Amino acid sequence: MKKLVLGGNDAVAYAVKQCYVDVVSAYPITPQTSIIENIAHFIAKGEMKTRFIKVESEHSAMAAAIGSAVAGSRVFTATSSQGLLLMHEMLHWAAGLGAPIVMANANRAVAPPWSIWADQVDSLSQRDTGWIQFYASNSQDAYDLLFLSFRLAEKVKNPVMVCMDGFLVTHTKEPVATFEDEITDFIKIKDTPVLLDVDKPEAVGALAFPKDYMPVKLEQIKRISTAKEEFYNIAKEFKDVSKKEYKPLYTYGYSDADIVLVAMGSNAETAHLAIDLLDKEGIKSKLIKIVMFRPFPKDEFKKEFKRVKKVVVFDRNVSLGKSGITKDEIAGALGIKNIIGVVCGLGGVDVTEVEMANIAKDVLENKIKEDMILWGEK
Amino acid sequence: MTIPKEEILKPSHLACPGCGAALAMRLALKALGRRTMVVISACCWTVINGTIGYNYSGVPALHTAFETTAVVAAGLKASLEMQGKDDITVMAWAGDGGTFDIGLQSLSGAAERNDDIIYVCYDNEAYMNTGIQRSSATPIGAETTTTPSPVVKDRPKKDLMEIVAAHDVPYVASATLAYPNDFVKKFEKAKSKKGFKLIHILSPCPPGHKFPESKTIEISKLAVETGIFPLYEIEEGKYKINKRPKFKSLNEYLDLQGRFRNMPKEKREALEEFIRKRWERLTIKAEYFS
Repeated sequence: MKKLVLGGNDAVAYAVKQCYVDVVSAYPITPQTSIIENIAHFIAKGEMKTRFIKVESEHSAMAAAIGSAVAGSRVFTATSSQGLLLMHEMLHWAAGLGAPIVMANANRAVAPPWSIWADQVDSLSQRDTGWIQFYASNSQDAYDLLFLSFRLAEKVKNPVMVCMDGFLVTHTKEPVATFEDEITDFIKIKDTPVLLDVDKPEAVGALAFPKDYMPVKLEQIKRISTAKEEFYNIAKEFKDVSKKEYKPLYTYGYSDADIVLVAMGSNAETAHLAIDLLDKEGIKSKLIKIVMFRPFPKDEFKKEFKRVKKVVVFDRNVSLGKSGITKDEIAGALGIKNIIGVVCGLGGVDVTEVEMANIAKDVLENKIKEDMILWGEK
Repeated sequence: MTIPKEEILKPSHLACPGCGAALAMRLALKALGRRTMVVISACCWTVINGTIGYNYSGVPALHTAFETTAVVAAGLKASLEMQGKDDITVMAWAGDGGTFDIGLQSLSGAAERNDDIIYVCYDNEAYMNTGIQRSSATPIGAETTTTPSPVVKDRPKKDLMEIVAAHDVPYVASATLAYPNDFVKKFEKAKSKKGFKLIHILSPCPPGHKFPESKTIEISKLAVETGIFPLYEIEEGKYKINKRPKFKSLNEYLDLQGRFRNMPKEKREALEEFIRKRWERLTIKAEYFS
């Protein structure tokens, strides 16, 4: 292992360099751009043997990735916000064909008004495209999740998205434990599907009448349903090399907490500090950080919520006309009522640990009884 | 030259009788051989190639979204090259809607990068798979379900060949089913060249153009003889006109097809003028860049 000081984007690019990626197809967009700039430099210096297709749009980035992946290559791309939205149609194609593409997404607000800052509506709007979704809270997460994602994508034949809050994660430089040769056995052997073969000429993605469409979708449902189980297996193997443990939900704090804070992405880092603040005031609390959002870790939530009195969910995103998206997902999946959703930090507004701790206290004291919007600094 | 005898396209595919697009695939694959992969975007060929479990093309076929033919083919080719499978030809196969309209951006991207693919547009001059709506490849005066008489198509057909040639690619050619030797020769030439190649095929459509299914070849021939569809190629920037028409009366071509039945006189004149101007430009280019 070697310690390097990396932002989330640097960490992702460095991981891609070490993951024996055959093809990268990508298009620049803030705040993702430095990922593909780093990759271009690695290739220019001869440090990576990868074909970089410099496409004319994000829609084409995903289309080229699909063409490459179905012929058996290991493929990576990266995007953000408007770019991810433009890709939407092709995200369905990638998942539907079982193309094991890995994509990094820099979570950025969606226009209008124009904004380049952190907000998770872009990737959460892709919830139903059939992609596995991870959310990194720091550079180390981003780096490690790339290795895990390639293995998982190829194992279950399903694309994987690794999301990082724009700037807060993509550009915050912090020490990252990087691999040297010790990761080779874990990552080098590819398990990519070869769907096109001149000696066995078949058609991929052909027209299906209703009776044929349903079975294909059932296969797809089965694939993504196995992703959580396979993630545990792969994470165990990863732990042997990295000494780091990855689970769909990461927890911190008291197991017999009076209040649970749920957060995803950069909010989870902040919530970590809020737990410590509450501890100093004698309040037993716990953080649940969502690492895997799809497939949704329902059983894990169920386990974590046992005997919990109050839950507050911080969402740097919103489903307009409803609530914070992860709050809604959790409430819907578990059917629980003692849950308060806080929509906060849209378009990059800062969310502080003091604000989080104060909200937790107000929820405990019944001062906050329904979902709310935290505006932060006005 | 001889046209290869081997049939790669399988019988009982799902094309309409007299379909130009089915014949085009048959000839294209004869020229390219079995070590070919084809990328098919949303178009009539999505249906012609058969439903799930079928593949009438006879070569590996990857269906994809409407606007992505060129770039999916580019990604596929890059992938094959990274695995050392350099001898496989990748053919992008799209209709005029997927080429002239919705797919023009990704086509331009692949042409600009000079991705090593053969891009084929089988041009039936309207959105035939969705039931005959106008595209930017529809000629002046043609009736479609979105240009019903008396509001027939009033703007000229886009010049695809010149658009693609402007990207400085190694090979651009047009072909018709009436000249199969010329057709096959062009595909063989495209296969022999590295980089981006475009072949633009006029693909008569009996239900869409409203003519009897036995007339596909005759109409293809008249398209060349009247000058409405020039047969030419641009190889490394050099123009070559493959068939110089004697400019038969355009009416011979138009009167065979129901889509021109309600064409007003001024539209006929506009179309004739368009053809005359196009040939003027083409002749100058062929003389200058030969």
